[in-house]
Parts: sequence; structure tokens; C-alpha cells
Amino acid sequence: MYVCLCKGVSDHTIRQAVDDGLSSMRELRQQYGVASQCGCCKQCAKEVLADALQQKQRRFAQESLIDTDVCYA
Amino acid sequence: MLGNQQVLQQLNRVLTHKLTAINQYFLHARMYQNWGLQALNDRIYKASIHEMKYADDIIERILLLEGLPNLQELGKLLIGEAPAEMLALDAKLQRSDIDAIREAMAICEEQQDYVSRDMLNHILDGQEEHVDWLDTQLDLIEQMGVETYLQSKL
Repeated sequence: MYVCLCKGVSDHTIRQAVDDGLSSMRELRQQYGVASQCGCCKQCAKEVLADALQQKQRRFAQESLIDTDVCYA
Repeated sequence: MLGNQQVLQQLNRVLTHKLTAINQYFLHARMYQNWGLQALNDRIYKASIHEMKYADDIIERILLLEGLPNLQELGKLLIGEAPAEMLALDAKLQRSDIDAIREAMAICEEQQDYVSRDMLNHILDGQEEHVDWLDTQLDLIEQMGVETYLQSKL
């Protein structure tokens, strides 16, 4: 869905940006303009950002776990 | 006729929900039309117009109770990027509207404003019907797959 309608930024865009290294609302505002116009999307953007960061972290942990397994085997 | 403050506050809250729904449905309807999904456009366009009529009822009621209808405030629009997502987001919005209307009705009842309660009851009836239609569409998509479903909505 579109998180920020003013700037046309979707949750996919935010998730992609997080995968590319973005990690804060400030960066999100500077790079994509999220929550810089009407501000309605601030809460929603925060939730999506937190969820994306968490998912990235989980994926990261999982990937390193697999590596460890391989090492021990 | 001077109305109860609490009732006026609740009516304004429901009004905000309705104004949000008008815009969300209108944009979704025209997105469907843009993609050639005429049947979905027709249905959702009508839903938007219905929301507008409900908003009108609430505005008139607030003015009669000597309050000031707040047409400036608008909630967050839940705009999807694909038809199935748009229907799911409409259902989500509709459910939160229903919750708000139920809470408002309880307060109207408590404050003995039965006319406002009856008006909200009429709105709630329409909302439940629409959320049921949305649920049916989401079920159909699950059962027949989104491609087949959309083929029936051209």
C-alpha cells in the first residue's frame, strides 16, 4: 500500500530502502520526502520502518546461523 | 436545539471517518477504472457516494444540534497498489468505521439522544452491508485466484 500519499511512497519502497541500508525516519524524510508534507503518514511510516528493520535483522540472524551450521558440520 | 457536547464530539469523530472513506473509495474506484475494471469501479464509486450522503446526514445533524461540523480533519487514506490489496484495505477501513459508529451509538444512547442514535444505526446498516460485500470479494479471490476474479470484473 501507499504509506505516504503526498510523495507516492509505498511500503515496498521503504522495505527496499531498508534493505539498501536506510535505518531511520530522518533518512526516510530526507531521501523520499515521507512525512514532509501533511504528516498524516508519520505513524504508519514508523510502523512499516520498524517492521522492515526487524525483518532485516531476523533475516540477517538466520543467514549467519546457517553459516555457523555449515562451519560446525 | 442545543445538543450534548459528548454526542457532538462523537458525531464529529464519525464524520472524520466518513470524509476519509469518501476519498479512499473515490480514488480506489477511479484506479479500478483506469485499469479497465469497470465493474469494481461502479461498485466502489457508489460506495463513495453513499459515504458522502452519510456525511451529509451527520453534518446536518451536527448543525441542528448547534455544533460545528469539522470538515477539515481527515484520517489516513489506506490506498493499495493492486486490486486485491485495495479491497482488503477498504475492508480494514470499513471495520474501523463500524467500531467508531458503535462507540458513538453507545454514547448517544447514554445521553438519551435517540434521534442521533437512529441516524447512526441507519449508517451502520449500510456499512455492515458493504463490509460483507468486501469480505465476499476477498473470499472469492482466495477461492478462484485473483486472475480469474478480475476477469469477472472487466
